[in-house]
Amino acid sequence: MAPNKKISLTEEDLVRALKGQETIAIQALYDMYSAALLGVIFRIVQHSEIAEDLLQDTFIKIWHSAGNYDSSKGRLFTWMINIARNLAIDKIRSKDFRNASKNQDLENNVDFIDLQRKVTFNADTLGIKDMVTALKPEFNSVLDMVYFKGYTHVEAAEELNLPLGTVKTRIRMAIMELRKHFN
Amino acid sequence: MEEAKAYIETGILELYVLGHLNAQEQNEVEGMAAKYPAIKDEITAIEIAMEQYAMKHAIEPSKGLDKQIFEKIIVPVQETAAPKETASTLNHEAKIIPLQADHSASTIRTLRYSLVACVGLLVVSVAALYATHDKLTIANQQIIAMNVDKEKFASTVSFMKDENKDLQEIAAISSDPTWTAVKLAGTKISPQANMMVYWHRKGQHVMVDNTKMALPQNDAEHQYQLWAIVAGKPVDLGVFDAKSGPGKLLLTMKEVGNAQAFAVTLEKRGGSPSPTMEKMIAMGGVSI
Repeated sequence: MAPNKKISLTEEDLVRALKGQETIAIQALYDMYSAALLGVIFRIVQHSEIAEDLLQDTFIKIWHSAGNYDSSKGRLFTWMINIARNLAIDKIRSKDFRNASKNQDLENNVDFIDLQRKVTFNADTLGIKDMVTALKPEFNSVLDMVYFKGYTHVEAAEELNLPLGTVKTRIRMAIMELRKHFN
Repeated sequence: MEEAKAYIETGILELYVLGHLNAQEQNEVEGMAAKYPAIKDEITAIEIAMEQYAMKHAIEPSKGLDKQIFEKIIVPVQETAAPKETASTLNHEAKIIPLQADHSASTIRTLRYSLVACVGLLVVSVAALYATHDKLTIANQQIIAMNVDKEKFASTVSFMKDENKDLQEIAAISSDPTWTAVKLAGTKISPQANMMVYWHRKGQHVMVDNTKMALPQNDAEHQYQLWAIVAGKPVDLGVFDAKSGPGKLLLTMKEVGNAQAFAVTLEKRGGSPSPTMEKMIAMGGVSI
């Protein structure tokens, strides 16, 4: 817990700076979290240019919504990830994105094939492979649906034709696996 | 503690961290977290796990993206933050007034340039107008001068025409046998005087030839008067002037059908009913 406390202390400073609209806060947040946020956004939109645009939107939203952040309700980074995820999910559900996707079938197919083969040259994501294999596929697929595909757990239950309780359990199990893995 | 454990095992905390709960459910979770530190810790653990999961997916953004983002964030911030920091309406106004002043200043500058341009154009126009007016005046003067010249020429031409007609008539008279040329010679008072009178006996025409007249010039109060001597009596044929310079070459006098001689006396202007014999200047008889 000691290192966690230290982190939360740093986070306190960050939160104070962010709420005080000190520009150093946004620079620190960018240095610390931009890559992680872009990774999450990219997993959702599967398009690097759109992902970077959304990353910009994310930081702008973080900056302007700093007043809404309540540290008693959760960690700052989680709050930021959820902003990024919501912007990305809104994007893939938007009309213009779907229309663009229709016109870019080939590109999407390439992405799809890459995903199928699980080919990745990103050193940062190399660890995922182990983790993904460590996760049981049924847990992984549910977490993927709600975390990266924008499904609500209710929608995921309908899609997978599973009871809502089972979906909740699977999400919990998947995250438990992650926690084990990272520990 | 049992309650907390059971709550954790429902999986609601994961959904909370994922942001999949509605407002009411969120409030419930937050209430439970405030009540049970175990739940709070569980939430934090889930958050950290998901954050690490995200970290595992990290993709470095393109270089320069950070600057783009900072520009978008910081520039509007400086604008909106400035009034907050100064917190003074005076400064706030000071920021705006020069902006408006700048705008009107540029407008005034533009207008000033326009005014200078207008004045310049006006000066050029006036100069051009003045030059044109000068030229017009000169042209008008030339037209007047030319009109005078033209009139002069016209009068000269008409005079020459008349003169030519007279000369032709004189030539015709000289060569026409029906005309009698009577030469009047000077008398004692004026021996130098002489002149020529043409007389058409049948037509009774009498003409005085100005070209062949050598009489002393008469003054304004006197005129020469031509007389025909018919049966020894003088008959008035009219008055004329003896003058130098242009004039008619042939003077038509009153008609007379039968004359033995012609005489010229100097009379008062307008002529006299009977000749003043002592003022007879010239006389000539008709040779038959």
